[in-house]
Amino acid sequence: MMRPPDSTRTGAGSRWTLSTASEIADAVREGKASAEEVTRAFLAHADRTSDRLGTWLHRMPEEALRAARAVDLKRTGGARLGALAGVPIAIKDNIAIRGIPTTCGSKILEGYRPPYDAHVIERLREADAIVVGKTNCDEFAMGSSTENSAYHPTRNPWDPSRVPGGSSGGSAAAVAAREAPLALGSDTGGSVRQPAAFCGVYGLKPTYGAVSRYGLVAFASSLDQIGPFARTARDTALAYNAIAGPDARDMTSRAEAKPVDLAALDRGLQGLTFGVPRELLEGDGLAPEIRSCFDATAEAFRAHGARLVDVSLPNAKYSIATYYLIAPAEASSNLARYDGVRFGLRAPAKDLREMYEKTRRQGFGREVRRRILLGTYALSAGYYDAYYLRAQKVRTLIRADFMKALGAADALLLPVTPTTAFGIGEKVEDPLAMYLNDIFSIPASLAGVPALSFPAGFGPTGLPIGLQLVGRPFAEETLLRAARAHEGWNDASKKAPPIATEAAA
Amino acid sequence: MPIDAGTVEKIAALARLELDPAERERLVRELQAILSYVEQLQAVDVTGIEPTSQVTEGDPPPLRADVAGPCDVRDEVLAQAPDRDGDYFRVPKVV
Repeated sequence: MMRPPDSTRTGAGSRWTLSTASEIADAVREGKASAEEVTRAFLAHADRTSDRLGTWLHRMPEEALRAARAVDLKRTGGARLGALAGVPIAIKDNIAIRGIPTTCGSKILEGYRPPYDAHVIERLREADAIVVGKTNCDEFAMGSSTENSAYHPTRNPWDPSRVPGGSSGGSAAAVAAREAPLALGSDTGGSVRQPAAFCGVYGLKPTYGAVSRYGLVAFASSLDQIGPFARTARDTALAYNAIAGPDARDMTSRAEAKPVDLAALDRGLQGLTFGVPRELLEGDGLAPEIRSCFDATAEAFRAHGARLVDVSLPNAKYSIATYYLIAPAEASSNLARYDGVRFGLRAPAKDLREMYEKTRRQGFGREVRRRILLGTYALSAGYYDAYYLRAQKVRTLIRADFMKALGAADALLLPVTPTTAFGIGEKVEDPLAMYLNDIFSIPASLAGVPALSFPAGFGPTGLPIGLQLVGRPFAEETLLRAARAHEGWNDASKKAPPIATEAAA
Repeated sequence: MPIDAGTVEKIAALARLELDPAERERLVRELQAILSYVEQLQAVDVTGIEPTSQVTEGDPPPLRADVAGPCDVRDEVLAQAPDRDGDYFRVPKVV
């Protein structure tokens, strides 16, 4: 095969890796860049950085270059290219791509190659995006640090001794380190928003029903939602538009999920009201640097024309308890399918029952086993009413709080996480302490409403701080419009970790 | 509600998960800590409140016509089998 000139050595590589998805798509559509040269630039950059970060579980350089060349041929053939023309995108490893390993970060799926594409993969290809690989994640998306991957941890691009967050930690780290301008993750209780905050990028959890989960490996089906990571509000909107909308293969998907009007993102904050849930902020454990970033951001929203009102979410404090009954209960049911019969790992055994028990013991990691048992307990005879059914009733109260607050405000402003990124190994031995970090992300998941994590500042040691906008069902546009306005006066999203900009060796 | 080694053993059997004794002891402690935490839900007044099993606004997509579509992935699916006998998945002795 003929080797093309090494674009990174000429400096053209960094030009593309530091570009936004919008800039890349415009350049490719106008013929100012080829999808192939853009893809090569990102692949070459990731060649240098990804081993240090542990971003990927499976990279797809050959498939990516083939797809890129096909996009270039399409353009030279005179066809109109899609909204993500030539834009490389990283995919969390719990989203199916036909013929490509999909492990969910689990040994039980080692070697599994799905015989079909997820709906979002079909949509990305229709938009002429270039899938460049599968990113690391906590096993079956269970975790907040990506330390629960059965393969290796992922490191935070801002500080390799710290976690990138989770469970979509590989996707967040890939975008922060400029290994891809866009990524997809999945968010069940904060798994897009929390790693976005820890890595200093945008992360959107769409409204429940906005994006088809066909081809997303199920964790907790009443909560799971696929969402994009990006480095600008506009890029987040582009990626959301590419994947949102109804799909006959997911009966929870909804036609109400309309594309975001990109022109409307520039309307500013005039006329918008933001709710501040005071009692959630007064809880224990909110780090002073997050609190001061929150206060400064709220004040800046007001200074730029927004109205701020206090709102109350009195039942939000029950969110973690509610979530850690509902999600494990649904997981214990969804993960019953991993039995060693048809695909993935099978442990040798003398009979069928022993095969199930040994396969699941060897194939699932500690956190997954813990949640399966917790969920099995919550659903078991004698405890169902006290645990699972009661949690579902409290969920009704939490959702009602949100709908009331969102009647008085266009969106809510709150933190994403109580602290900046914690150290690798710091919380891994205390599952409850890990769960308690999810207090700001879980409520919107239970309520089924959209929520956006946006870069808002940095702590005293230079770690990113993200804040969160939570909106009315299918009002993703309002969240992205507010984040776009914030981008106009705040440069947190424009800073890159050193590893993202280091020159080719 | 206190949880003991016997309860963990029982739910592990329901979930078809093999446990070794050390893990069983650790799980007693970990599950007890989590269950003590979720105990706070018992204090919430849920009288007359309907459970939410799923939050979906709007209408589901229309049902497709009830006709068989093509599905040409049989070889791909069978190729993933840990053990097979022709077109069958083979498993160890059932009883």
